Amino acid sequence: MASRTQTDTDDFDTDADDFGGDLAEDVVLEVRNANVSFDMDRGESRVLRDVNLEVRRGEVLGVVGESGSGKSMLASAMLDAVVSPGQLDGEVIFHPEDGDPVDVVSLSDRELTELRWNEISFVIQAAQSAFNPTMTVGAHFEETLRAHGSDVEEGLANARELLEDLYLPAGQVLRSHPHELSGGQKQRALIALSLILEPSVLVMDEPTAALDLLMQRSIISLLADLKEKYDLTLVFVTHDLPLVADIADRLAVMYAFELAEVGPTDAIVEDPAHPYTRALLKAVPNVADREIDIAGIPGSSPDPVHVPEGCSYHPRCPLADEECRRDDPAFRSVGDDHEATCFHWEDAADEIPFDTEGHDE
Amino acid sequence: MSYYLKRLGQSVLVFFVTVTVTFALYRMLPFGPVEMMRANLISQLVQQGNPTPDQIEKVNQMVQAYTGINPDQPWYFAYYEYLYDIVVYQDFGVSITKREPVFQILFAAMPWSLFISIYGLALGTTVSLLLGAAMAYTEGSRFDAGMTVVSIINTTVPYYIVAILALIVFSFNLGWFPSGGRMTPGTTPGFNYPFIAGIVEHAALPILSSFIAGFGGALAFRGNCIREMGKGYIRLARLRGISQGRIAIRYVGRNALLPIYTSIMMGIASLFGSSIILETIFNYPAMGFVTFEALMDRDYPLIMGSFIFFTTLTLLGILVADLTYGIIDPRVKGGAERESY
Repeated sequence: MASRTQTDTDDFDTDADDFGGDLAEDVVLEVRNANVSFDMDRGESRVLRDVNLEVRRGEVLGVVGESGSGKSMLASAMLDAVVSPGQLDGEVIFHPEDGDPVDVVSLSDRELTELRWNEISFVIQAAQSAFNPTMTVGAHFEETLRAHGSDVEEGLANARELLEDLYLPAGQVLRSHPHELSGGQKQRALIALSLILEPSVLVMDEPTAALDLLMQRSIISLLADLKEKYDLTLVFVTHDLPLVADIADRLAVMYAFELAEVGPTDAIVEDPAHPYTRALLKAVPNVADREIDIAGIPGSSPDPVHVPEGCSYHPRCPLADEECRRDDPAFRSVGDDHEATCFHWEDAADEIPFDTEGHDE
Repeated sequence: MSYYLKRLGQSVLVFFVTVTVTFALYRMLPFGPVEMMRANLISQLVQQGNPTPDQIEKVNQMVQAYTGINPDQPWYFAYYEYLYDIVVYQDFGVSITKREPVFQILFAAMPWSLFISIYGLALGTTVSLLLGAAMAYTEGSRFDAGMTVVSIINTTVPYYIVAILALIVFSFNLGWFPSGGRMTPGTTPGFNYPFIAGIVEHAALPILSSFIAGFGGALAFRGNCIREMGKGYIRLARLRGISQGRIAIRYVGRNALLPIYTSIMMGIASLFGSSIILETIFNYPAMGFVTFEALMDRDYPLIMGSFIFFTTLTLLGILVADLTYGIIDPRVKGGAERESY
């Protein structure tokens, strides 16, 4: 898997001509220079800043970051589903298995309806209010099938199988109203609903929020099974790094509406290059530790209207120097298929050491 | 099922308590029809000399014959007889001033009130729901702001003021509509144009006023719609490719209706209440008008009759709202009927 390793340019390659399919790795979804902004009275609020990310066919990509780091915006941007009045600029290129790549952002409403659910599906953050309380769960499946001109009988048979795969009693669940299901059942029914038209990519925005730990684990293992069975590509957005590390092939760490580090899960968990990722991992409590010593990150994440000049992490970073305050670091290769936006990544491991050997995992 | 029976039983109980209390209060009211008439007759006797117990007994009999009320009877005994007549003979008594069976008078007046109220309510509800939805979908626009002001003025100005203004403008000044009555004199009742046109003409202003009386829901519905439109399931429905029309009706409209459904159903009852004032203003001889006249004349049996009518309607409105709520909101189904998993 060749990685993009521009160390000098400020950005990823922005030339749109080369997305014609000669990418060595099998990329299914490409986000290019994605920006999301909201016009507010006190200024323009940029909640996604120049994000470049690729999703590879068949992988599980975990997008992690703290609350308000722009994770959900990135997830929404992948389907051009940013909530108005948010404005998405940039490109999101979808590469179908066979056929020409399409730029999701420039599609018409009709084409978007075609693409969503058929190709790229979405699990919204608020699973507990994702179903219309005055309709049965089954009616949601039916209307989705009708809206896409699919065969309802066949689709419902498909839905039953999906629900059974998720260990739900299909007949009962389809007949129920949303309030008759538990939180975990609703979450699983929602995942089944998003897979009803057999998409190739499933983007999930905090699919385990508001669930207890056991249910979170069981959803994770169910997702791994589903991915195998239905040949899915998963984008898993969460703030829970240890949870997603279990199934993700690669991780993308976000800080202050930008990507801070992207790389294979093992590399990021064991030897992260970005000071923020290191600090974030240190903040994860470790059950193996006798003393519970959680090191928080001093300071707070920036306001989307006033993001610091230069590297957005510099006010909280122990390695920050004049260069960090002045220039915004571009992605640089820090290992095999592993990139980070830090000038001083080589010093990060010494400056922010992990005290316990074999931390986590 | 037990819920429905319980709810029905409650309504019957409330009905009897209300009717009983009204009957008792009316009977205890000083200078009710009995005292009025008895005082009149006795003062006539006093002018002729000291009345003998025999004469007083005769006066009582006259009063009883005239009003149907025996002044010596305690109210609960009279009440028992009143109910007995209604239940066994379906007899609501005879109007004191009109000398006609109460049931006949009310039965003749009822369709006219229903006609006006139902049209007023149907128009008022439909328009306020559509307007509320339109305002919600154009939230923040000039249309929204303008209609908000109109709706606030509408709810602040009482409907009877509107009725009087409508009467002044459209009837007395412009002469477009008649100022009273319910049909054009000289037309033959039946399915012919002059008769029907006359009815519509006479009903136009009362319906307009009761439309305005039943119109207050627009702002509430607007708010509910806006709240619904921010819900997760609306966003998900859009992403799933569900059509705008279906989202507007099946998602936004249906869920926004739930909180105001009961108040719409209860509006039926309040609309009949407002008909007392409206029909008096428009001199429209129907239930409200009859009730008001009976009130002024202390026509006791007639008042009890129309009171029973209004009580029944109010309770029916609430009962229907309660019993049908489970249909429009599946979360409120009777406990034993659905399982939770």
